[in-house]
Amino acid sequence: MLSFCHKSTFLALCLIVTAPGWAVDSPDYRAIVGYITRHCSECHNAGNQNSRIDLESLVWNFDDPIVFNQWETVFDKVASSQMPPAPNDMPESDRRVFMNRLGNTLRDRDLQHIAAYGRGTIRRLTRSEFQQNLRDLLHLPHLDIKDFLPKDRESHHTNRISETLDVSRVQLAAYLEATDAALRQAAAQGMQPRKPTTRRFEAINMFTNSSTFGGPEAMFFAKDNRRLALSGASLNELRKNTPLDTDIELAIFRSATWPYYGYPYSFQAREEGAYRIRFSARAVLQKSNYTLTPAPHSVPMTFRARKVSGPDVTGDVRATGGIMDVSGEPGVFNTVIYLKKNETFEYSLLGLPQPRAINPPNAPLYYDFPPMPKAGHPGIAYQWLEIEGPIDPQTWPPKSHQILFGDLPIQASEGRLPFTLVSADPAKDARKLLLRFIDQAQRRPLTNAELSPFLKLTFHELEAGQPLAEALLTGYSAFLSSAHFTYTSDPTSLANGSRTDYQLALAQQLSHFLSNSRPSPSLLSIASNHKLLKHDNLRTQTNYLIDSDSFDQFLAPFTFHWLGLKDVWRDEPDIRLYPEYRLNDYLIDSMQREAMETFKLMVRENLPITTMVDADFVLANDILSKHYDLDELTGSQLRRVSIPESSPYGGLLTTAAIMKVTANGTASSPIVRGAWVLDRLLGTPPPPPPANIPSSEPDIRGATTLKEQLAKHASDQSCASCHATFDPIGFTLENFDIYGKWRSRYRSLDSGEEVTGIDRAGHEFRYFEGLPIDSTATMADGTHLGSVKDLKHYLAQQPRRLSRALANQLIIYATGTPIRFSDRAEIENILDTCQNRGYLTRDIFHAVIQSRLFTGVDND
Amino acid sequence: MTKHPRIRRRAFLQATGVSISLPWLESNAYADPTDQPKRMLLISNNLGVLPRHFFPKDSGPEYTPSPYLQTLQDYRNDFTVFTGLSHPYVEGGHSTENCFLTAAKHPTGSRFRNTISLDQYAAEALRRQTRFPTLNLGVNLNTALRSLSWTRDGVLLPAIDSPAALFTLMFTQGSVQQQQELVERLKRRESILDAISATTSTLKRRLSKLDRQRIDQYFTSIRELEKRLESSGQWATTAKPKIDVPPPTDITDRSRFIEKLDLMLTMARLALQTDSTRIVTLMLDAFETGVFHYEQDNKTLTGYHNLSHHGQRAEHLEQLRITDIRQMELLGQQLKIMKSIQIQDESLLDQTMLLFGSNMGNANTHTNTNLPILLAGGKFQHGEHLVFDREKNTPLSNLFVSMLQNMKIETNQFGSSTGPLEGLRF
Repeated sequence: MLSFCHKSTFLALCLIVTAPGWAVDSPDYRAIVGYITRHCSECHNAGNQNSRIDLESLVWNFDDPIVFNQWETVFDKVASSQMPPAPNDMPESDRRVFMNRLGNTLRDRDLQHIAAYGRGTIRRLTRSEFQQNLRDLLHLPHLDIKDFLPKDRESHHTNRISETLDVSRVQLAAYLEATDAALRQAAAQGMQPRKPTTRRFEAINMFTNSSTFGGPEAMFFAKDNRRLALSGASLNELRKNTPLDTDIELAIFRSATWPYYGYPYSFQAREEGAYRIRFSARAVLQKSNYTLTPAPHSVPMTFRARKVSGPDVTGDVRATGGIMDVSGEPGVFNTVIYLKKNETFEYSLLGLPQPRAINPPNAPLYYDFPPMPKAGHPGIAYQWLEIEGPIDPQTWPPKSHQILFGDLPIQASEGRLPFTLVSADPAKDARKLLLRFIDQAQRRPLTNAELSPFLKLTFHELEAGQPLAEALLTGYSAFLSSAHFTYTSDPTSLANGSRTDYQLALAQQLSHFLSNSRPSPSLLSIASNHKLLKHDNLRTQTNYLIDSDSFDQFLAPFTFHWLGLKDVWRDEPDIRLYPEYRLNDYLIDSMQREAMETFKLMVRENLPITTMVDADFVLANDILSKHYDLDELTGSQLRRVSIPESSPYGGLLTTAAIMKVTANGTASSPIVRGAWVLDRLLGTPPPPPPANIPSSEPDIRGATTLKEQLAKHASDQSCASCHATFDPIGFTLENFDIYGKWRSRYRSLDSGEEVTGIDRAGHEFRYFEGLPIDSTATMADGTHLGSVKDLKHYLAQQPRRLSRALANQLIIYATGTPIRFSDRAEIENILDTCQNRGYLTRDIFHAVIQSRLFTGVDND
Repeated sequence: MTKHPRIRRRAFLQATGVSISLPWLESNAYADPTDQPKRMLLISNNLGVLPRHFFPKDSGPEYTPSPYLQTLQDYRNDFTVFTGLSHPYVEGGHSTENCFLTAAKHPTGSRFRNTISLDQYAAEALRRQTRFPTLNLGVNLNTALRSLSWTRDGVLLPAIDSPAALFTLMFTQGSVQQQQELVERLKRRESILDAISATTSTLKRRLSKLDRQRIDQYFTSIRELEKRLESSGQWATTAKPKIDVPPPTDITDRSRFIEKLDLMLTMARLALQTDSTRIVTLMLDAFETGVFHYEQDNKTLTGYHNLSHHGQRAEHLEQLRITDIRQMELLGQQLKIMKSIQIQDESLLDQTMLLFGSNMGNANTHTNTNLPILLAGGKFQHGEHLVFDREKNTPLSNLFVSMLQNMKIETNQFGSSTGPLEGLRF
């Protein structure tokens, strides 16, 4: 039976082989078939329904990517000793020869394929790249067209994979809408800049009502540091006085969440635009009987743009104007906020109580404010506020308009655009401006044949009676929606073609990598002169991009997906167990910024890759210093703080954001955290759990710890072998709660030591400090980890592995192509380059960018 | 204080029994009054229901209603319930949710690509007879990740999750000038698409083989959009149906899952009733629903997803049961109203095949076999519990083929079908 099987295997393989030049009788092929027949076919045959792969009919044709992928899987399974399943089934010497032969074949075929077609393909821009491109091209830094475009799907921990970035008619229709909207914003909105109006609000006009939700503790008007108890009527009386009483202050002690409408009395933006705000304020403490004293610490605040809709918020709400730290000394603050038509702005004090409605049965609802801390309630007292706007650019028509229409004079008009272009020869100007616009926007020079449809379209519109400006916008919109603009080329596929095309594609790839957008003029000019690979230019431009402000545009899309930082808002805390985290937006916002800024610091300061897992500092602000149990800081700005030897923090791994995204709001899971470390930091994701296995559930009643529950499945051999690689990592992280705060015991709802109190929203709470946390674990290799400190040392001893994971992810992100088989060796070369200096983060960026995987040419 | 969303919704619902005047379209008039149109309303809850309360224990026309089906007993002869249907090789827990209407195999495979969904397939076959070829709706839907509706290329078609926006699309009439502008805009779009198509053809010649394969998708999109423009040009100048109902207000509180579903079902009904479309999909994204109100004043212990992994805990099971019952009640209400709406001499339910189901057979254990499936309306011979092999399921696509045929679309094949569904009679 067995021998018959073997023969048929061989025949099947022989018959299907078609690839020219890859003779079936090649020694590699014969040897591999031999191994497969001896070691694999008994299970992996067409008749076996339980086998996932049928090696009998797996053809020897590597031109088919699916077949290639299957051979790659065969290689990996054998290389990792997962197959054959019993360790003694294949002698070690056989395994080595098999891997050599199959590995060489796969690598050679892959390199041949890359030489012929390039490493990847053209790639559609992501939604955020597209928006950033338009912002930069049109000089519209606040352009917001994301809502027009569908979101992009995630795979390989990024949303930039070419294969996943599909185009549908929905996408195409969205491009037409989005580009039209963007172009109309770029055109002058009138014949001259709009005339801004200024409004001044004394404190008594800075709030719509005389009180807000949460009672006097939440907000009151004060004079001489004492509350002025005002009814609605008495407030209105005061507002009629001339001059207004300027000694009155508006004091606020709560954060801006529903229900709240903390905006000025009778203000609405006439028009969309930028508004300049000046205001005078000081941080205060509310003491008993509603008296005020200067606060020793600053209180952070920002503004929220929103509709004038009372307590119920409808439509957008956006933080705007940045975070300002108001200190105990009165000071005047300046900022610029952006408002849409008919919007107003409200005071958004960060990290303060958020009273919420209590709806007792058969009784009226009320709002609770938490009891006063010993020092008093922190808050801000405002003296006055001025708002001026909309603020248009001084030069007119604005720069964005000049991109579209050059210096052609404009004249007022009633059409869809508020102007017409004055032109003696519209056809000639149309041609000139269209070519000029495309020249500014294009990713590489268009051929005449590629240009002519845009010219034809614009002329057609002119002939149909459209004004020159409209005809041009139609042409521009077509160009910006076309594949010339919505896709970028893969430079590795152009390495043997036109030098200009190749150099420009490389420049595009570099700038989209590090700034999420099109190249700067200087980068473009280097590429146009074919000098990007000369005189260290690539390195210089890389450094320039990393040190520019535009590097922030890289950080968010990269870390949001790679580290999952987009998920920090995903899980609501279980407020029965974690009342202190109720609606703590400022904490979550701070932790997200901290994680991003930590990675930014690693790159900018060229810190060792081990900073991913261990460091002697954290980036903290006021709220994080409390969260991390450090000496209390004031101010919202994140800054680098040394931490004591005893602190469990330091390193990206144990930042609050990472601990939060690897928990679920109710409980942390050592499995999820351990698997996360393997996957994201070490780059070796565990295989997905088999189907039909329910996920583990924490026992919030507190009778058993998760570790005890997991011990059960660790005793099942099929689960245990895999879980042993990541559960121990997760166990040592168990001292971090769902928001990454240190704990020594699990909280539970009904057993342990009772804790009661009143939370930030005024709700009474009661939970129990339950079973103690056991954060010891033994790794699969026998290493005993006594605590998270040991884990950090353990991981920090593997800088190459950490670097490999980052290098892989950077390649995937930058090129939009997942790691190919032949990339593996090149990535080891990249790591070799970084080894001497001890794997520094910026070095890894450089080595990746200098590599063949990025440039398509060998780096000698 | 705040207006309660429920009250606003009530006001909206009360008004919906009302006069609707449909635009008379020459191209749209039924050639033969006996040739009434058929419609589809395809609903999936991506976490499914508790199977023990859903499936009846006995089969055939005399089956004893299960606890859930008990809520639909007034309409017993208007629907069929199925046991033993699933999509073969569509496995992998939640990964299957995007395959509910596509049946694309191995959604966790490394080179998986989705295929055309039932609604898009039917819309293609029907051509453009209504203002919207299909409407793709969602409740609490993560529109980036999930959809019931997929193009032939396996590209996700994002759903509309705002009833207010949908209402505007369907019923708010632009002025004559706006209409003219729209026509002009459509014309301009056509010219733009011509230009894009021409320039991309030239560009294509400069591309490598693999790049060309990639850019073909772009061409397909151009062609599909052109087709749509042609027919929307015709619709742009056609009056929208007049309906004597105030526009709905969106319920933004995601924990009001049931109320949001209720409102979206009403919108789906209005879409079908006004012949704005013949095909509606509605995905209930239970996975994306956090802690929610399973009863007016009670919230679930945990998010819908965690809840569905109930691990037999009594409290979880009870909250799930109540949630499921409330969805079944809404389904019953939908059947009742659709039955009462007469269009010519048929009820809206006679015209509409209402499919309710899930990609999850049992969310607690992540299984994707023995899916809960219920089909109402469409003038099938209903009133039965059709039972197929629980061990070796019959392809759900067979039911889809029967539905397509019921819509007078001549096909014997969809997805992984082996033919029309045995035992289901027209």
